[in-house]
Amino acid sequence: MNQHPGKLGIREYVSIAILMVGAKATEDTPTMLYNKVQNAAWMIPLLSAGIFFIPLYLLIKTLSLYQGKDLFSVINKILGKYLGFIICLVIFIISSFGISASTRTYIDIIRAFYFTATPNVIIYAILIIISAYGAKKGLQHIGSVSYLIVFYVLVSLYIVFYLSMQHGKIQSIFPIWGPGTLEILKQGPQQLTLFAEFFIFAMIIPYFTSNKVFSKGTWIAYVYVSIQISAATFLFICMFDTSLGGIGYPFHTVIRFISLGEFIPNVEIIFFIIWIISAFIRFTAFLYINALMFGHIFKIKDFEYLIPSLATIYLLIGIIPESPLDAGLDFKTPITNLAGPTFAVISILLWMVALIKGEFKHAKNKNSM
Amino acid sequence: MLKTKTVCRLLFYCVMICILTGCWDREEIEDKSYVIGLGLDRSSQKGKIKVTMLLANPEVGSIQGGGGSTEKPREIISFDANDFIAAKATANAVISRKVTYELLKIFVVSEDFARDKTFPSTFYDITKDKEIHQNSYIAVSKEKASQYFIHNRPKMETRPHKYYQFMINHGIENGLIPDSTLFRYLQTTERGTDLFLAMYTTAEKQKHREIKQEDEYMAGELNATGELDDTQFIGSAVFKNGVMIDKLNGQETRVINILDDTTNIKEILVNFPNPFSDNNKQFSARVSKTKNNKVRMNLKGPKPMILITVPLEYEILSNPSMVNFLKEKNRQILKHEIIKDVEGLFEKVLKKSQTQLKGVPYPLSFNSRRYFGTIQQYKKFNWAKSYIHADIQVKADIQIIDYGKIIKKPIKVGE
Repeated sequence: MNQHPGKLGIREYVSIAILMVGAKATEDTPTMLYNKVQNAAWMIPLLSAGIFFIPLYLLIKTLSLYQGKDLFSVINKILGKYLGFIICLVIFIISSFGISASTRTYIDIIRAFYFTATPNVIIYAILIIISAYGAKKGLQHIGSVSYLIVFYVLVSLYIVFYLSMQHGKIQSIFPIWGPGTLEILKQGPQQLTLFAEFFIFAMIIPYFTSNKVFSKGTWIAYVYVSIQISAATFLFICMFDTSLGGIGYPFHTVIRFISLGEFIPNVEIIFFIIWIISAFIRFTAFLYINALMFGHIFKIKDFEYLIPSLATIYLLIGIIPESPLDAGLDFKTPITNLAGPTFAVISILLWMVALIKGEFKHAKNKNSM
Repeated sequence: MLKTKTVCRLLFYCVMICILTGCWDREEIEDKSYVIGLGLDRSSQKGKIKVTMLLANPEVGSIQGGGGSTEKPREIISFDANDFIAAKATANAVISRKVTYELLKIFVVSEDFARDKTFPSTFYDITKDKEIHQNSYIAVSKEKASQYFIHNRPKMETRPHKYYQFMINHGIENGLIPDSTLFRYLQTTERGTDLFLAMYTTAEKQKHREIKQEDEYMAGELNATGELDDTQFIGSAVFKNGVMIDKLNGQETRVINILDDTTNIKEILVNFPNPFSDNNKQFSARVSKTKNNKVRMNLKGPKPMILITVPLEYEILSNPSMVNFLKEKNRQILKHEIIKDVEGLFEKVLKKSQTQLKGVPYPLSFNSRRYFGTIQQYKKFNWAKSYIHADIQVKADIQIIDYGKIIKKPIKVGE
């Protein structure tokens, strides 16, 4: 019985990862993919996962040299004080904009479908307050809550999948190669941001019971999530066919369309509640990790106290775009173009420098001693 | 210290309760008026449309009301507006409660307006209004939609939402009207390869009504008399690029519904000619389709070849010639007759779609997609154009699963 109080086990980590990355299937990602490569969009998550596998593998390999150290300490150790600081800052800024962009997407969804009259700021404030409150509770709470709800989230998602399957036509995915294999191969590397969160998860390594949890959990969640996003996109293509390009948030359109028999025609609210709970967890974890980064960069020990102020800043950035359209153009596009490739490059850079410096040899020698 | 903390917590929870009301989106059911049917007509003024709203009274007929209410079950208002979204506010000049489309079940468009070139641009507002669910239906009425709602007075099902729900569901199950949801309308229009069918309805009696085959009627043609509501749902309106171009009668609609794998047809009762005797007595049967069609295409040549195999299960319900089906020969004769009848009918309808409608009224284009590798090739092939020249063959795969009760010829007195 070696239980570590206040540490995350593999199941908590996997549930956080599934909630954070898997949630992408339920926002506007499928539409975005569809607009790029039409009915071959379901291949992109799998292809990108295949490409991102390399940097992620190298990252995990590099991090395994430093047991129990988080990403930023490792960056500082490998790249030195000054260069390390700059790279950490870049990662922090990118993930800060990432959190603002994705919260804004959620606000737009909520406002478009459920709370049409409430001002953006109020919905935003409520979402951020709840996430900040959760983040302040600490990672252990986030982990156990994720583990509690991940089951419901997945079951509700599968119910939606099942019900939408009855309206879908499998022939919609033909012509199988969409706009052509070349175009698909071109888009694959551009959508690495789908899995950028896995890079950020390296920040919370000290909270795991061991480094094994991180590597093993990452692979489990990684494979599952890429399949889930791909499957969701596949189903949305089957259901909407060519209209998918014009539907901003396919998941929400689907839950408004499906019904549980003749007597329960409008069931969207059941799925909405579960979806919003998973959204809270997603941003709680995201916020916590960002605060952790900030604390690490500027050597602030009690970074938990930073969370409310950071959350407020994210809110203020998030409400800058006037309309969902602006938000998509100003925020989402640059972030998606930037985050994934940057993180991939940083991972490869870390590994290469570690290799040149001979860290791997040192570790081997140490082990053999 | 502990006390202050507890008090603070309690206060915090009280504040949280305020959020539960939904902020600006607080809604009172009592305060709302639900539109069940929305009629769209051409307006006398250019650029406007005539909107008709059929509002249901939730108090009537519900168990809680006890049925003691003397209020009318519905209210109908018609007025001219720019579109049907802003019309919600205008309607409040007449209606006391807040008008909402959340429970909107059916759009009724007059045939005159549906044939108008501007119809799609007006109708596309359905994607803009978030209250409208895409599983509501679109129907085309022969007369003006405003007149349709007024003349439609169901005798038994006075609550409008139940009336439309049952009427439409059973019509679709019988295959006499198409499953014309807004979702399908939008998809078909955006796909641009095939035609959309909307249910056809009228509340007007036609003057000269002749007696036809059981499903060959259009709405309004069925000569039903008695103490009844004159509304009829049968047949369909054909839409091309979102605009109505033609009509199909009940039989043709049924054929299309059987061909279309995406429609949920359940119980189709049909008559077919009697092969055993020359009198006009026909057999009746229940047709069901449990498996999907098998569609094979050869799209390489200058003239595309399409072979559709339709698996159908027949249950014979009547036996007017008192034929003994224990004999293998009789069963074969019956099966051949059914195959001849079905194939002839299906090919006739598809021929009509090629020559008269110039497009296929159900998503057959889906089956052609897998013969192409990329979208560019598929676009170059141009399904909509190729279909018109295609050589279509229908093969009926008939299984007779039940011949009915075996009966003996009644012995005549004195024989």
